[in-house]
Amino acid sequence: MSNPLLTISGLRAGYGAAPVLFGLDLKINEGEIVALVGSNGAGKTTLLRAISRMIAAEGSINFAGKELMPLTPEQVFATGLVQVPEGRQLFARMTVEENLRMGALLRRDPEGVVRSFARMYELFPILAERRRQMAGSLSGGEQQMCALARGLMAEPKLLMVDEMSLGLAPVVVDQLLVVLSDIRKAGVTILLVEQDVFAAFSVADRGYVIETGHIVREGTVAELERDSDLRKAYLGVA
Amino acid sequence: MLFAQILVNGVMLGGLYGLMALGMALVWGVLNIVNLAHGAFVMLGGYCVYFLFTGLHLDPFAALPIAMVVMFVVGYLLQRYLLNLIIRSSHLNTLLITFGLDVVLTYLAQLAFSADFRAINPTYAGSNVTLLGVTIPLVRFGAFLTALVLAAALWVMLERTRLGHSIRATSQNLIAARLYGVDPAQLYAVTFGLGAALAGAAGGLYGMVSQVTPYIGATLTAKSFVITIMGGLDNPFGIILGGLFIGIAEALAAIYIGPTFTDAISFGLLVLILVARPARSLRGA
Repeated sequence: MSNPLLTISGLRAGYGAAPVLFGLDLKINEGEIVALVGSNGAGKTTLLRAISRMIAAEGSINFAGKELMPLTPEQVFATGLVQVPEGRQLFARMTVEENLRMGALLRRDPEGVVRSFARMYELFPILAERRRQMAGSLSGGEQQMCALARGLMAEPKLLMVDEMSLGLAPVVVDQLLVVLSDIRKAGVTILLVEQDVFAAFSVADRGYVIETGHIVREGTVAELERDSDLRKAYLGVA
Repeated sequence: MLFAQILVNGVMLGGLYGLMALGMALVWGVLNIVNLAHGAFVMLGGYCVYFLFTGLHLDPFAALPIAMVVMFVVGYLLQRYLLNLIIRSSHLNTLLITFGLDVVLTYLAQLAFSADFRAINPTYAGSNVTLLGVTIPLVRFGAFLTALVLAAALWVMLERTRLGHSIRATSQNLIAARLYGVDPAQLYAVTFGLGAALAGAAGGLYGMVSQVTPYIGATLTAKSFVITIMGGLDNPFGIILGGLFIGIAEALAAIYIGPTFTDAISFGLLVLILVARPARSLRGA
């Protein structure tokens, strides 16, 4: 059977007195693309923040055999669990190249970093053209590419991508989804967090549906797409 | 010729002012702390070089790197074990804490070193170079060059090194920096240490061109503040330019209005600049 890379059990998290996640279970196997879908405010971004240890949480998050709960965000990053946050969160007044270099901050293999740069510029040719430009001056699509490339420069075991499609033209989203499929073939496991269910299911193997802090459905994409409630609620078809 | 001489005096002084403000701007930009103890660090750096010069007979320029290392350690420890505790609180709190630190350091300096005026006078202190009819005191020229070299070194560090990239990334987007492996507690301590080291170098040079007392800190903090507002937080050379501007303005004021007006000029300019270039001047965006 498949190897679980990330196992979350009984995860509770929130902001101060306001709980957002109510005992959440989730599992991602090595080499999978898993989609986490749900509407605005369901708790998707909160889940990612909890996994990256940006906010207080209870429960267990096991990643590659290691418990993440006691770690800080920078220590989580060092384990190979890398987040591409919502809203890109680029270093706006640094160049594209410097942003990518920040992804490789903890790497100590200069030749490998050079290879990764070449690979990123091959995946995203536009970034090669723009590499001396400030990241803040890029278009929305280019910024998302830059954010993905920065994440990949870390050579993640698991890449968590938050709301990749937000504010982007459908043609750009399609382009990025193709890239995600490519990097999965290269051995990167992906958790894709999306409001755009069509987009997410088009590349994912399995999916989770989150509503008001609970996982309400899970299964293969084929199973979820057959679920009549989900079809009505998220896909807008009967 | 008098005007050219005044201009040169102003530029020499301004370089030193710029160096003084560099450390404040670095800390301000990255940690979002306006360090009111910055002038006290300058003062401590001045004493450090003074005692290395009088006690160990080191050349004061050779003593600068040692003073920088000492002040780096002081700054690092202060940030790591004191200021990191309150870094997430409001501006008012960090202002109060650093103000308190300034008072404590000034008082300790007075206890340890007395209130005497101390000047760092190497044998070449009276030497001048004359260029095209303009006289430049050797020490001031050395101070000016040192300021430029340190500003350039800071720039290269920020642009080219891993540490520099982490510092800039953290100042631009703390959350993303943490998500990409920067430990803010460590980075803040290093940055604050660097700011203190730059202040220490400026203090040594200040002791050569002027005198060190426990009380020079407050005015120097305020001048660094003015220069930082003028120069912006992003570029070390902007800060040096701001320093030159203040230096020249003070030199002109000393001759044409009166030497007692130099401080009034700096702060008059501050008010004018804040009115003409509000908050925009602090950050690029």
